[in-house]
Amino acid sequence: MFRSTLTQLTKIAAPHRFLATTAELAPRVKTFKIYRWNPDTPEKKPELQTYEINLNECGPMVLDALLKIKNEQDSTLTLRRSCREGICGSCAMNIGGKNTLACLCRIDTNTSKELKIYPLPHMFVVRDLVPDLTHFYKQYKSIQPYLQRDTVPEDGTENLQSVADRKKLDGLYECILCACCSTSCPSYWWNQQQYLGPAVLMQAYRWLIDSRDQATAVRKEMLQNSMSLYRCHTIMNCSKTCPKGLNPGKAIAEIKKSLAFD
Amino acid sequence: MIARVGLSNLVRPAHQLVRPSIVRALKTIPEPAGGIVGTVNDAYIVPSAQKLEGSYHWTSERLVAVGLVPLTVMPLAGGDFSATLDTALASLLLIHCHAGFQACIVDYIPKRVYGAIHSYAMMLLTFGTMVSGYGIYNLEKEDGLTGLVKKLWKA
Repeated sequence: MFRSTLTQLTKIAAPHRFLATTAELAPRVKTFKIYRWNPDTPEKKPELQTYEINLNECGPMVLDALLKIKNEQDSTLTLRRSCREGICGSCAMNIGGKNTLACLCRIDTNTSKELKIYPLPHMFVVRDLVPDLTHFYKQYKSIQPYLQRDTVPEDGTENLQSVADRKKLDGLYECILCACCSTSCPSYWWNQQQYLGPAVLMQAYRWLIDSRDQATAVRKEMLQNSMSLYRCHTIMNCSKTCPKGLNPGKAIAEIKKSLAFD
Repeated sequence: MIARVGLSNLVRPAHQLVRPSIVRALKTIPEPAGGIVGTVNDAYIVPSAQKLEGSYHWTSERLVAVGLVPLTVMPLAGGDFSATLDTALASLLLIHCHAGFQACIVDYIPKRVYGAIHSYAMMLLTFGTMVSGYGIYNLEKEDGLTGLVKKLWKA
């Protein structure tokens, strides 16, 4: 049978390398408690399943641990992940009581404490750590997150913008729509059918202040009701939890200010 | 197609709709699972613009709150506090409390879920505000709000 030389090499090299690192260290076994629910057995209530991992044999981030569990211990564990570097927003979950991206969250190396991992709070669960974000995306679609203009530029090429105007979009355009902020907001928990939530409102603001966009009046009018925008009570969980360090709370305050005498 | 992407459990018959369960005893309006109305690719439909419930409401709330600051500080700092100012303080405080409770009702007893119960709660709040308004009227005929607080402080 054909076997690649590469595989054979690692097999020879592995024992020596492991001797120099992991084998000499005392195992650091950390307990992970992970939310499990399977739609195929709806009669079974959701539960926390316990897994144990030796941190010496695992990468530093929570996503590494989750993938290690999925690879080696329990292949039925379901989660979303893609980029493993905090740019896709797939692995958003509630880790140790805080909404964050598993790929950007370090494992607490204190092995005496267990780490609990839940899906994003107050969302419908598709399975295990996968929440249903359909309504969140529908809300994002409702704010029309694209450039709208009545006129085209005179030279027929680009919609130009000054450096200062471009600067206004910094801290807004970086949002990856991981839904960590929206699902940490109590107002969004109670009224997510109607309240748009911090992530979507921040994008609404991003298009409101874009100097190239000409649909400002329509965009503002969409927020003129008691539910869409004004369910924000400046609780600020959104800004506290954002794994990208953005400030949705401030963006919402800016929208309220710009609407104040509208 | 829907079954293939694993969303078939979102399209449910009416009897399987999920009931929000803050108070199980109260009759609530069933909501679609996941809050999904229409297909998964339709945008959420925003309600029509109501400035009185939107920016006007918010701005007046802020004006009342800001107005309350000097009116609260002045009697505490001592000195003359006229009956007119006292009436202004009492009525602004009443409006402020009314707006606060109104926000609580909109948050926790939303019309979307509780229907008529939402309206009853609002009516009860309006009734309470009217009774309090009458109380303030009686209070202002004598010592006023600050006078009452002084009395309670000394008692």
